[in-house]
Amino acid sequence: MAFEPVLTRNIGNPAVLTVDGYRKAGGYQGLAKALKMQPDEVVEEVKKSGLRGRGGAGFPCGLKWTFLPKGLDKPRYLVCNADESEPGTFKDRLLMERDPHQLIEGCAICCWAVGAHTCYIYIRGEYVEPAAILERAIRDAYESGVLGDSVLGSGFKLDIVVHRGAGAYICGEETGLLESLEGKRGQPRSKPPFPAVVGAFGCPTVINNVETLCNLPHIVERGADWFKSIGTDERNTGPKLYAVSGHVERPGTYELPIGIKFQELLDLCGGMYQGRQLKAFVPGGASAPMLAAKMRDVKLDFDTLAKSGSMLGSAAVIVMDETTCVVRAAARLAKFFAHESCGQCTPCREGTHWAELVLGRIERGEGRESDAELMLRMTKNMSGTTICALSDAAVGPARSVIVNFREDVDQHIRERRCPVPPRRFFGEGN
Amino acid sequence: MAETGTKAALPEAVRAEIEALRPRYPTTRALLLPALHAAQRAAGGWLPEEILAAVGDYLGLPYSDVMGVVSFYDMFHDKPVGRHRIRVCTNLSCALRGAQEIVAALHDELGVGEGEVTTDGRCSYVHFECLGSCDSAPMMMVDDRYHENLTPEKARAIVRQLK
Amino acid sequence: MPTVTIDGRTVDVPAGTNLIEAGLKVGVQIPHYCYHPRLSVVGQCRMCLVKVEGMPKLQAACATQVMKDGMVVSVDHPEVKALQEGVMEFLLINHPLDCPICDQAGECGLQDYSFKHGQSFSRFDYEDKRTYPEKERIPLGPTVLLNMNRCIQCSRCVRFTHEISKTSEISFFERGAHLEIGTFPGKPLDNELSTCVVDICPVGALTSTQFRFAERVWYLDKKPSLCTGCDVGCNITIEHRRGAIRRYKPRLNEAVNDFWMCDHGRTTFARYAAVPRLAAPRLLRGGELQGVTWKDALDAVVHKLKGRSEGAVAFLGSGFLTTEEGFLLAQLAAAVGSPHRAVSVDGGPARTIPNRQGGITGRDAAPNRRGVELAGMVPGEGGFDADALLLGDAASRCAVLFVADSDFGAAAHDPKVIARLRQARVLVVMGWADSPLAQAADIALPAATHAESEGCFVNVDGRLQRFERAFPAIGEARPGLEVLRDLLARFDPHWQGLGPEEIFARMAAALPALKGLAWRSLPAEGVKLATTGGSPP
Repeated sequence: MAFEPVLTRNIGNPAVLTVDGYRKAGGYQGLAKALKMQPDEVVEEVKKSGLRGRGGAGFPCGLKWTFLPKGLDKPRYLVCNADESEPGTFKDRLLMERDPHQLIEGCAICCWAVGAHTCYIYIRGEYVEPAAILERAIRDAYESGVLGDSVLGSGFKLDIVVHRGAGAYICGEETGLLESLEGKRGQPRSKPPFPAVVGAFGCPTVINNVETLCNLPHIVERGADWFKSIGTDERNTGPKLYAVSGHVERPGTYELPIGIKFQELLDLCGGMYQGRQLKAFVPGGASAPMLAAKMRDVKLDFDTLAKSGSMLGSAAVIVMDETTCVVRAAARLAKFFAHESCGQCTPCREGTHWAELVLGRIERGEGRESDAELMLRMTKNMSGTTICALSDAAVGPARSVIVNFREDVDQHIRERRCPVPPRRFFGEGN
Repeated sequence: MAETGTKAALPEAVRAEIEALRPRYPTTRALLLPALHAAQRAAGGWLPEEILAAVGDYLGLPYSDVMGVVSFYDMFHDKPVGRHRIRVCTNLSCALRGAQEIVAALHDELGVGEGEVTTDGRCSYVHFECLGSCDSAPMMMVDDRYHENLTPEKARAIVRQLK
Repeated sequence: MPTVTIDGRTVDVPAGTNLIEAGLKVGVQIPHYCYHPRLSVVGQCRMCLVKVEGMPKLQAACATQVMKDGMVVSVDHPEVKALQEGVMEFLLINHPLDCPICDQAGECGLQDYSFKHGQSFSRFDYEDKRTYPEKERIPLGPTVLLNMNRCIQCSRCVRFTHEISKTSEISFFERGAHLEIGTFPGKPLDNELSTCVVDICPVGALTSTQFRFAERVWYLDKKPSLCTGCDVGCNITIEHRRGAIRRYKPRLNEAVNDFWMCDHGRTTFARYAAVPRLAAPRLLRGGELQGVTWKDALDAVVHKLKGRSEGAVAFLGSGFLTTEEGFLLAQLAAAVGSPHRAVSVDGGPARTIPNRQGGITGRDAAPNRRGVELAGMVPGEGGFDADALLLGDAASRCAVLFVADSDFGAAAHDPKVIARLRQARVLVVMGWADSPLAQAADIALPAATHAESEGCFVNVDGRLQRFERAFPAIGEARPGLEVLRDLLARFDPHWQGLGPEEIFARMAAALPALKGLAWRSLPAEGVKLATTGGSPP
């Protein structure tokens, strides 16, 4: 796989943490080029590239930018979603810690394209160190004339503000994020109106994920055609960061053309931990339905995974081997979603709580025969019936463990115990 | 909302921090999360009721709303915490790589359970959801720092160092 | 105006109308909890999801507006029904089975929708319900108690205190299945409109301390009426069990009180049971109070009025009289040629009820000073006013002093004032209350409370509103209207036996402000009078 890293090309070069070092490594060329283009041209280029949101939803990025209403006498905002709380995901943290100027450049290009003069980087509260790194890089950018009253001397005014969250997964949902940014409980809003029309502080707002924005300097610099040449097809283009964790030899962030097969990715990670057998994997973060080992050749892109009954989401790949009880895994994720539900919507508030109880019981060996059917039918009422997609996300693992691992579930219920008790990870004497 | 009478005021340093941030936002309300972070740090890691009221007074927000925000977020504490806050991730990726053994080791080392503070006030312990460090699992957060690639022994050693 | 079709029924609605309101226009009731016409739309209960043609997912009716022609909506649809059952099931999994001890039973959103939209079984038959320990009877404030176990987290109370009373006492705390409502310690729910949150809470989570355990609602008879707490004239419903009033609830009138009423108004009926009732006509003879027949009592009054011994004949009314009663009292004064037509009304604290016209503020402690003055109870040339009678010695110059309300205000219980009034040679007192003033009277005429009467009040805005009798008067008490009519009939037989409708007609003919109005055709929301200046008849 001779793929030249794009997003992670500067990782391992600590010099890029300064504007000078970043420039020497070739940075801020994209921004300089964008500033010489018309904003609409930049939007067109991004649309042509086929870049889809890297935060989880996979919405076409350039298209989203065109939803901003024209002629409205209100400021526009860019909000960078750096809330990264989807279990299994850590790629945005890597980008922010090791190449903050790439993000700053991407934000600046986006702001130029959509006419925003203020960008808020909403970063999860637990990322204290990455926030500090970003703040330092931003200060450096101001001092070097990359930010402020005249970006790179162009006359375009741009301010970037780092805004820390305080520990809530739901603040990664775009309208939950906006509520939190505005100083409220992070409870998502009904849509419509969409953030493009009524977003931050009632103004038209673009919200993009960190990784999505980091692609922009490269798209502008090297062109949409180059971007499209990477990936599976027209609808799945560009480089993708895959965050791999769990039972692999070398967990980490891997940048690859979008659409690599899971088995190929697994090989790049050094294969299964201690050579054990693959049992299950989550292809796109906790919300993505769990897949059984037989799906190991599935392409990890938006459309293939969607057709295969799962999703690419944040491309957080969690690998589970034969020592794993998938029911316990699903129960732990159910607990996560119940904890993170904001509680507004009845199906989510009550359903995530119920799912946690039922899966917990099954895991403990107190499951009943009717429980599997109960979960399948109850989760139906949680899908597509709420203000935001956390409810649907919770359904992902809860349903998939029953649909794709029915025998495991039935065994727990039949034998009234967990047939795969937790195994020590650390050997004796650790 | 603001009443006269003797009440806690926000420390000068916290007010200064808030004022420095004010030009960055078009509304006063947007200052609430940064204000609470600053106030919590100044108050020793948690937010007593008087401080919530002081923040409410300073920003002109109803006390109930300030409390509503504090109780919503996992990083704001309305009960006393230890001098050091330990958060161990027990979500899936960490669980797959021995997080439960880290938890057991810490419970043993500290002598406290979930949500509790050691009797000498040194440490408080909670389990936490995914902290975005899954490739270096298992891991924990102590105060503002991540400690990654833990083993039960490493975890114990880190905690023993805490004063 | 764009058209929308709901369950096959098409209607024009103003652009921007949400589907719940549009549904009401064609008789389709879309179930909902969190939506309220006066509160911001949050769309969080998910009970109102409906099928909109062309949209794959169900849409929240409260958050979906009709903007263009051609929207086709189905409520009677299998997907919608399945979702409604699902939401009901979810709401009930953690809801306690408190119906046997819960105030809300019989008027409960969960009961009603369970019956209409729920399924008759629950699959949550194994787990323990989530509870909020120690939060089964938390006083949120002086008038409202919270049982957090029953809450369905609809946020109506949160939005009410933020948007309507604008006092922000209630917020959401925590999140997820532990989401709860509460107040900040030391900042209880205590504003003029606090108890309104009990009205809008769909379940029994918020209950009124006044009404708690007072009555099962299916035993209550309900009669539309008006509050007498001040001159805003909030539209209310008198809810009583065979004449024992258990509570007042506000009734929608967009022109006056909208959906609301104040805490004070809700307490005003308690007075009718707290102060002893004057139940039978009485004469004071030889220092003793003697019960007499109505005939004897009225004969005695007329005898004194016609007696014309030296001295004035004065009439003192109150802000609690109906406009008709005020009119008849003024007519009676005219019949005996008296210019002494006084009205005593206490001033109260200003009370503001929010509505969509910027709110309405009342300052009198009684509902109808304007109506009574408009009807002619204004002193004529040289006539005594209330101050002269209550604070001065005007009563000592009276041959007859007719007080038309034994509980006209605080002064009616003040021994000094009673002593002054008692200086009249003959003191006649009509009223529902057997107050010290009534006990000092030579002739006491038992009258009905406003709950036992019908008539009109004119509020601070000059709006005339009519109310009807909720239940018959107790004992031998009679509506003041009838008593005054009978007295007047002794002077002018044309008044004999006239009913309220006819009396109103005569009043409307005599008062320019009421020109063209008729008893039967008064609009439900009342009518704003052109002028309210009082003038002698």
